[in-house]
Amino acid sequence: MGVIADAVADGVLPGRVWFYGNYHCNLVCAYCLTESGPRSPQRRLTAEQLVRMAEQAAALGFTELGVTGGEPFLVRDLPATLGRLASILPTVVLTNATLFGDRLLAELAPLAALPLSVQISLDAPDPDVNDELRGPENFAKVIDAVPKLVGLGFRVRIATTVPGERLDAEDHERLCTLHRSLGVPDDDHLVRPVVRRGRAEDTGGAIAFTPDDVAPELTITADGAFWSPFGPTVRDGRLATDLLVSRQTDPLERPAHLLLRLVEGRPRGDDARIGIR
Amino acid sequence: MTPRIELVGAADAPLLARPYYEGGDPGPIVGALAHVPEVLDVTLPFVGTVLGPTSIGVRTKELVILRTSALLACHFCVNTHSDVARRTGLEAAEVRALRDEVPYDTVFGDPAERALLAWVDEVATGRGPVPDPVADALAAHHPTHEIVELTVLVGATMLLNRLCSALALPVAPEALARLDEEDLRWG
Ligand code: SF4
Repeated sequence: MGVIADAVADGVLPGRVWFYGNYHCNLVCAYCLTESGPRSPQRRLTAEQLVRMAEQAAALGFTELGVTGGEPFLVRDLPATLGRLASILPTVVLTNATLFGDRLLAELAPLAALPLSVQISLDAPDPDVNDELRGPENFAKVIDAVPKLVGLGFRVRIATTVPGERLDAEDHERLCTLHRSLGVPDDDHLVRPVVRRGRAEDTGGAIAFTPDDVAPELTITADGAFWSPFGPTVRDGRLATDLLVSRQTDPLERPAHLLLRLVEGRPRGDDARIGIR
Repeated sequence: MTPRIELVGAADAPLLARPYYEGGDPGPIVGALAHVPEVLDVTLPFVGTVLGPTSIGVRTKELVILRTSALLACHFCVNTHSDVARRTGLEAAEVRALRDEVPYDTVFGDPAERALLAWVDEVATGRGPVPDPVADALAAHHPTHEIVELTVLVGATMLLNRLCSALALPVAPEALARLDEEDLRWG
């Protein structure tokens, strides 16, 4: 095995490599880390870049892929690309689930046999509370999309982002009742704090963090490689570079080795104090 | 003069650059290179090794650095190293001579230093091999490993000269203030 494969096998490096497929989005969420919106520069990674780096990730010894954005499904050829990625390594794609019309679902259907899971954001059990954070009709679209994806055979995870570290107990229980009713088991429900970066820098309850607080998951963007998917955030149109590992991304070997060097240079211990995943 | 790029501040310093910011403002060269952490990561140890203390004496190295910087007309490096040179023992007249404000053979009488400066002039401005008389004169005073190191020192200084000049990196105000006290500010 190589150095990276050993580090992944030993738990020194997380096994997942994240790709920011694009930065633009059809929503303008209040806490968006990347300040995404319809007019954001797209800063895309092409399908060929994604597939090439996925192959490199597998060869190095990484074990999983993640695709995030922006809203990844705004990129027209994403389903085909996801099929190629999930044929290389198990893949999770993060989405706001607002674009799952009949045509997109039909394109995704053949991929259900692959190790491809879909992580969907849902922040509150009440439409008005959720939609205030994430935009009009968001709740209804998510409630519509999740059972359809589950019905196609996809593993669907629900990610709930809340100010502060805790969700109100009653709301939490109602949200769990809701996701169970949609076909998503408790193990596939993540609750995480709003991180004080990007558009959330001024959000009450948002949590500041240092690199030691977040898992060092190699994260590839059009602007470089980062320590974590919480790294390449945008504020006032400027990309944050405090968690930048290298500008070079391809071949993946260099940022992977630099990340490992950085990880080994810090005290060993639990990799994520506040459990931001 | 306004720098051609925004310099990376401590709050934005990438992970590989952070150690350089731990003691405060690391200066504009780090602030520029920090935009490309993997380049900074190899460039600064290289520059630090070549321009920093080695088996070749500080005076010799400052002669090379300041002379090269003057030939390349680097505002940042000439001023910064005029200040360094004064603080490491070079005379003000020597600084002026290295900057061609007076002919340097009127100030530098030591044959070894004259051979060194002739070598630097050829390496920094020449296009082909250093001419035999210049090479022979240097070899009379320096063993092979020093000739190699001195040549690398000229090259590394030229790299910094072009980086600092092209990007119009600002000279530290304290250095300029010290130079002003002796009317030694350049450019
Ligand atoms: S949080 Fe996600 S869905 Fe919301 S604006 Fe940002 S990228 Fe889009």
